[in-house]
Amino acid sequence: MRMQCLDTKFFTSTSLVPMQLPSRMETHLWYVKPNEVKSEQLLNKYLEFLPKSEKEHVFSMRGDELRKGALLARALVRTTIARYQINQVSPRSLKFRKNIHGKPEVDWQQIEDWHPQQLHFNISHTESLVACGVTTHNPIGIDIEEKERKIKHSISSFAKRYFSQQEVQLLSSISDPEIQRQEFIKLWTLKEAYVKALGRGFSGSPFKTFTIRSAAASKESIHLSESSSFENSDIVVESLEDSTNHTGDWQFALLELAGSHYAAICSRKDCANIGSHPMKIGVWRTIPLVEDEYVSGTNSVIAVGGLM
Amino acid sequence: MASSTIAASSISFTSLTLNNKGLAKNSVSLSINGKSFPSLRLQAASRRFRVSCAAKPETVDKVCEIVRKQLAIQPDVAVTGDSKFAALGADSLDTVEIVMGLEEEFGISVEEESAQTIATVQDAADLIENLVEKKGSA
Repeated sequence: MRMQCLDTKFFTSTSLVPMQLPSRMETHLWYVKPNEVKSEQLLNKYLEFLPKSEKEHVFSMRGDELRKGALLARALVRTTIARYQINQVSPRSLKFRKNIHGKPEVDWQQIEDWHPQQLHFNISHTESLVACGVTTHNPIGIDIEEKERKIKHSISSFAKRYFSQQEVQLLSSISDPEIQRQEFIKLWTLKEAYVKALGRGFSGSPFKTFTIRSAAASKESIHLSESSSFENSDIVVESLEDSTNHTGDWQFALLELAGSHYAAICSRKDCANIGSHPMKIGVWRTIPLVEDEYVSGTNSVIAVGGLM
Repeated sequence: MASSTIAASSISFTSLTLNNKGLAKNSVSLSINGKSFPSLRLQAASRRFRVSCAAKPETVDKVCEIVRKQLAIQPDVAVTGDSKFAALGADSLDTVEIVMGLEEEFGISVEEESAQTIATVQDAADLIENLVEKKGSA
């Protein structure tokens, strides 16, 4: 196994390949697969990046896999943001805080020799994949979910409880249970990504108060064509509350990631993006400090919706 | 977490022990589930008191059961009132399913604002009893 041959000297923060910030119209997505990180030495190196409070949080998780996942999530966020710094910044030196609604953000003033950046990020993790999205100037929310994820309740009762009426109708119009389940998961990730992008917390934007649908579908036609509802179409959000919600400001992308996950990305459209261009996304699979692989355009990244 | 307002009502002694050794005449130290609280003044006028905080053990147990099932927790992992959902591996989808499970089990309706504040099993149990009580008195 490659990992066992690597020396400690490879695991320094200067082995983080520096990156240029994404342009205003771009989103960068970085992901780690926990099963690709096996070296104890490497995991200990990641642990060194965390302040005491984050270490405590990692160790509060019940079980080895959950602890590893929590550690990788913090390591991914810290190493990813550190890459984009003009001066070499150690992942250890980054400080984070939460906005008034609890959304995490970088606390630039706390870093020595700080350069405030219009950098926005958001993370999401499942047992088998951890991801971090990065944008400039515009807030971002991401959510990933295992493609095979099954919920305990019936899709119909869950949707009736949490989704909007239009979304319930759309899901109930799908006769094949497996396709219905897939569409449900896709819709869930899109709704989560939107709420996380808004940064107002779960209660700030209750799921019932907005509908996400393909731009092609309309209020009248609620039935799906043979292909999935989001495929090859723009994805839009409509507010069922007040019309001052600026829902036209938000753009979505839905991807199949690493063959195993759905990833939904929501970001605010840049004010320079007058022509409503689809989101440009660059995706990297990474093992921080060890290897980075640009995977856009490969089988690891398959566009499902919102992208041409 | 547990508030220590003292109001006039009856009290169940199963989860409380009173210990007023070596304390001032009108104060007691309350020990709830092994946690002790600073001594409190009792109203001289009323000897009856209720501590309005921790939910019934049965409620906590029921919540633990629902959480165990939802998160498929291994039998050797302990789930107690103190257990945090996040630490047990609950993601946002799990959390809303747990809330839904609690609504079904207890016949209550949990608003998003309240759901967002639930971090531990105890939080959930307390919220449930609160809602059940409100429902009962409506």
